[in-house]
Amino acid sequence: MEMVKENLSTSVSSMTAMEEDEYTGPSARCVLFTMEDEIYGVHVKKIREVLRVGNIRKVEGADYHILGVINVRGVIVTVVDTRIIFGMPSKEVTDHSRIIIVELDDERTVGMLVDFVMEVKDIPENRFEALSATKENASRYIQSIAHFEDNVIILIEIDNLFS
Amino acid sequence: MDEEILQDFLVEASELVDQLNEQLVDLEHSPTDADLLNAVFRGFHTVKGGAGFLGITPLIEVCHRAENVFDKIRNGDVSYDALAADVILRAFDVISDSIERLNDGERELPANNPQLLVDLDALTKGNAAPVVEAPKQESSLQLAEGVDPDGDMTDEEFEALLNQRDSGGASDNSSENTGLSLAEGVDPDGDMTDEEFEALLNQRDSASNDNVADSSTSKLALPEGVDPDGDMTDDEFEALLNQRDSESSEKTQPKVEAVSAPVASNPSTPPAPKPAASSTPKTPPAKAAPKNNTESTVRVDTKRLDEIMNLVGELVLVRNRLLTLRGADQDLEDISNAVGNLDHVTTDLQASVMKTRMQPVKKVFGRFPRVVRDLARKLGKEIDLELQGEDTDLDKNLVEALADPLVHLVRNSVDHGVEMPDDRVASGKPKNGTVILAAQQEGDHILLSITDDGKGMDPDMLRRKAVEKGMMDEISANQLDDKSAFELILSAGFSTAETISDISGRGVGMDVVKNMITKLNGSIDIHSVLGKGTEISIRVPLTLAILPTLMVSFSEDSYAIPLTSVQEIFDFDSSKTNKIDGQMMVRLRERSIPLYFLSEWLSPQTVKEDYRGDKVIIVSVGNQRAGLVVEQVNGQEEVVIKPLGVGLKHVDGYAGATITGNGNIALILDLPGVVQRFQ
Repeated sequence: MEMVKENLSTSVSSMTAMEEDEYTGPSARCVLFTMEDEIYGVHVKKIREVLRVGNIRKVEGADYHILGVINVRGVIVTVVDTRIIFGMPSKEVTDHSRIIIVELDDERTVGMLVDFVMEVKDIPENRFEALSATKENASRYIQSIAHFEDNVIILIEIDNLFS
Repeated sequence: MDEEILQDFLVEASELVDQLNEQLVDLEHSPTDADLLNAVFRGFHTVKGGAGFLGITPLIEVCHRAENVFDKIRNGDVSYDALAADVILRAFDVISDSIERLNDGERELPANNPQLLVDLDALTKGNAAPVVEAPKQESSLQLAEGVDPDGDMTDEEFEALLNQRDSGGASDNSSENTGLSLAEGVDPDGDMTDEEFEALLNQRDSASNDNVADSSTSKLALPEGVDPDGDMTDDEFEALLNQRDSESSEKTQPKVEAVSAPVASNPSTPPAPKPAASSTPKTPPAKAAPKNNTESTVRVDTKRLDEIMNLVGELVLVRNRLLTLRGADQDLEDISNAVGNLDHVTTDLQASVMKTRMQPVKKVFGRFPRVVRDLARKLGKEIDLELQGEDTDLDKNLVEALADPLVHLVRNSVDHGVEMPDDRVASGKPKNGTVILAAQQEGDHILLSITDDGKGMDPDMLRRKAVEKGMMDEISANQLDDKSAFELILSAGFSTAETISDISGRGVGMDVVKNMITKLNGSIDIHSVLGKGTEISIRVPLTLAILPTLMVSFSEDSYAIPLTSVQEIFDFDSSKTNKIDGQMMVRLRERSIPLYFLSEWLSPQTVKEDYRGDKVIIVSVGNQRAGLVVEQVNGQEEVVIKPLGVGLKHVDGYAGATITGNGNIALILDLPGVVQRFQ
């Protein structure tokens, strides 16, 4: 856990240094993660922490996309399979898998199981493109996309994810 | 309005209202108690002061007048009789309602019902006491049929009568509308002699008859199917009178200054004596957006906070000790001492923090004197309520959760339990019935009991009723012992009241009470002796946060079953099971109990054929029993209940989760939900 955090913070500092030359406007700091070769981003203000996958206690009778619950320092937190939410097939947990703990509001947190957490990046706000409504159900969760460093980053609207 | 000052005021006012509620009822028993009178006077005065500072006019108006009344009462100018009590309690209801509205975020209170202010003013000017005797002296006032003029009058009737008088008098002041004229020199608000009153009644009688007759054709819409010449129920009569009242106050409105707003145009006025039936459309009060939840705060004795602070200090010391031990090459004894210390500090800290959530049960009990008083008067019963163990502390959430079930049970005792005074005397009991509401701590439980010395319950009648309702056949009904027969009243749809009163006996209720108590991991016990009385005891855990459970497991996963529901555990034995109508049953002491194989639900991947070695746990769910088949029983454990995460709260069968000693998660089973899953 601590290792992850350290990694994240070093990549943040290097990134910001690089970006400063080109763009000085406001930017959004996002945690980037991947699933099926796509890059997703969640704003850091929504993220409490990133955890390695430990014991997930299954809750029989819960919805299909709910993997179970974990104990985060005495609080029971639901873990969802983010792949299922985005309409992808479920996948075995690997060493790269992480649980991103996101905050829905002051009291409620949810863990999102993702394939791989890349890094934390400051994405200049002028790179964001609002997404026009598409047919996909998943689009409800997608806030906008950003073209950045030859990548397309899909930004997730956490508030819509569990409403 | 300064929001902060308002909040302070609301906290204080809410406490004062709670106190006044009790004091006012006490005052009726000892109307001359100087200390009590002073306390009540001060109560109204303090609320008025706060309201004045914040400029809450409707509240000031009422408090000011109530204060005036009590000033007169404590000086001995006016006595606090039943009539005065009714007016004052109405005023109190307005105040209490206003505070509640403010608490709910409303900032504009509706104007006061002018009638109330007039009544309060009337009280300060003199006691209406003589009036109380008037109806008994062969008054010639014609009451509607169905009202027994010789018998005792209920308050409502009497009030209606007074309202009639008032509005009659008011009308007269303004015009000749009602054709009623007061004898010269009579001040309608002042003292009246009996003669004058009677004369007035006679006069009024004819006038009001005219009025009613006239109105029924024109403005008064009688409820359909009511024959104006035939029998009228009290309620209809009252509604009619109220309609009449509102009309006449409408008429008088332009001329009578004291009446600031006509009743009819003031639909949301808090507790108008009786909302004028059809003439006032009910408009829901506009709720202001921010709902201030003062209940989410708790007042904590600073001594308790000091205790906690002290323990936290200890905890920090232990941590520091452990930190130094880490790394340093220390022997085991030091470490084990430090850990032992840690153990003590955390245990004490836990207890102390728990105490901050504790509140005296008085908070719930405080409302009962009034509930019982109002109900008893309405039913024409005479009942003394005794409160015992009011200082018993219990968890704040429990205090709130217990309020509704208790109100229901106490109302039941008053309504169904205690007999009418005449019946009581006839059966050799004191005229006044007694209802005792008691609380006491019993280990880690609180025992609440509602005892009455009423007519008790007849187990045979209950058995018959169960058969009539088709709940069971005659044979099984007759097999029920008395205790089980009493418990029948806790079943859904079982109401034994022959006639349905508007107080209790709608057939929803006792089962709801039972469910609420079960939710709190509590139990209900009924003890009744025919002719002697009934005692209903409720046992609830001291706190909702910690739950004694029985831990069971399937392969790796552990589950906790609330221990209060567990009755017995034995080995699974297939020779004692039968399949009846597709449902597996186990025979236990001549009874068949349905068996539910939890593994079918909790580990559906593994299909199990052989249940040898498994355990059967007999649990009570509501009034029924069920046998749960589990793989392994791990023993008892006290667990801290934690809510399940997002998206799991509505999954049936779980009450929450907890973290076991080894850091794993155990799910807490909600037995009613589990049984539902299998049905």
